[in-house]
Amino acid sequence: MRKIFIFIIFMVLFLNPIAEAHRLHVVYKISEVEIQAYYGGNIPCRDAKVKIYDANGLYLEGTTDKEGKFRFPPKVGVNTYKVVVEAVHMPGHKAEVTINLTKSVYTQETPLYQNIIAGFGYLIGLAGIAMVYLGWKKGKND
Amino acid sequence: MVHISDGILSFQVLAFGWIVTLLLIALTLWWSKRKGSIAEKIPKLSVVTAAFFVASLIHIPVGPTSVHLILNGLVGIMLGTLSYPAIFIGLILQAFLFGHGGVTVIGINAMDMGIPALIAYSIFRIRQSPLFGAIAGGVAVTLAVLLTAAVLLTLGESYIWVVRALIIYHIPIIVIESLIAASVVAFLSKVKPELLGGGK
Repeated sequence: MRKIFIFIIFMVLFLNPIAEAHRLHVVYKISEVEIQAYYGGNIPCRDAKVKIYDANGLYLEGTTDKEGKFRFPPKVGVNTYKVVVEAVHMPGHKAEVTINLTKSVYTQETPLYQNIIAGFGYLIGLAGIAMVYLGWKKGKND
Repeated sequence: MVHISDGILSFQVLAFGWIVTLLLIALTLWWSKRKGSIAEKIPKLSVVTAAFFVASLIHIPVGPTSVHLILNGLVGIMLGTLSYPAIFIGLILQAFLFGHGGVTVIGINAMDMGIPALIAYSIFRIRQSPLFGAIAGGVAVTLAVLLTAAVLLTLGESYIWVVRALIIYHIPIIVIESLIAASVVAFLSKVKPELLGGGK
């Protein structure tokens, strides 16, 4: 009998919603995502058409401002968006990026000078291969 | 900025670009080989391609946007018929390393810049003087812009205004590249004239 009584008190204490009333809840929502579009050399891509897609398709569209920036409110609970930017003043330029809100900043660029050096490297390599090939062909003909 | 990005053009246009580019590469290599050994031109070919590759990093802000050097005219003047393969290689490197243009559009972009380079060479062959160098340099950029605009017009009537925008923004580039071509021709014809045209 006593055991049942203790069990009932337990149940009342734990299952009663009032027992939880003083638990402090903190929820959050990121209200804005900022994207920025720019050409190489940090020149902002202004007035460009922006389209934001989520898993269900097109979510929002708009244009970038003077600094090439565009801001949009994310949906609660949706963390992945595909952003497509199409330049207006330089037609034929289009770029897209998939953003994940759980990662705060998207940066993927390698420094420019590394790419320049890499390019020269490839050219020297190609020249070398071409010369080896032509040399081999010449040797064969002789 | 005559590099068109990925994901804009239709499959048919992209396929057309690749077919024309591959045919022109075969044709220009065959033609260059007929005129003399390509092996001796490889050092010059590499250096000029390198210049073309980095030229696209030189930006000039124009109005609400920016444009960059193309140097296809100079490539044509210096490499002759080999300019088409050189531009093709330069574009591949630009696409992968700088993100200029795209990968599927390399065929079309090579056409847009390479065909004007070949025309620049034929203009320069009329008379190898700084004046004809300047004309060749300017015409090459103008034609590259016009060809790019023509390709974009395949997307429909709504793109008609792009022709105007592209041409207006490229006027400074046309002027600059004429001057660059003229001064390179003036310098090289004194110092090492065989570097010009299809020579070594």
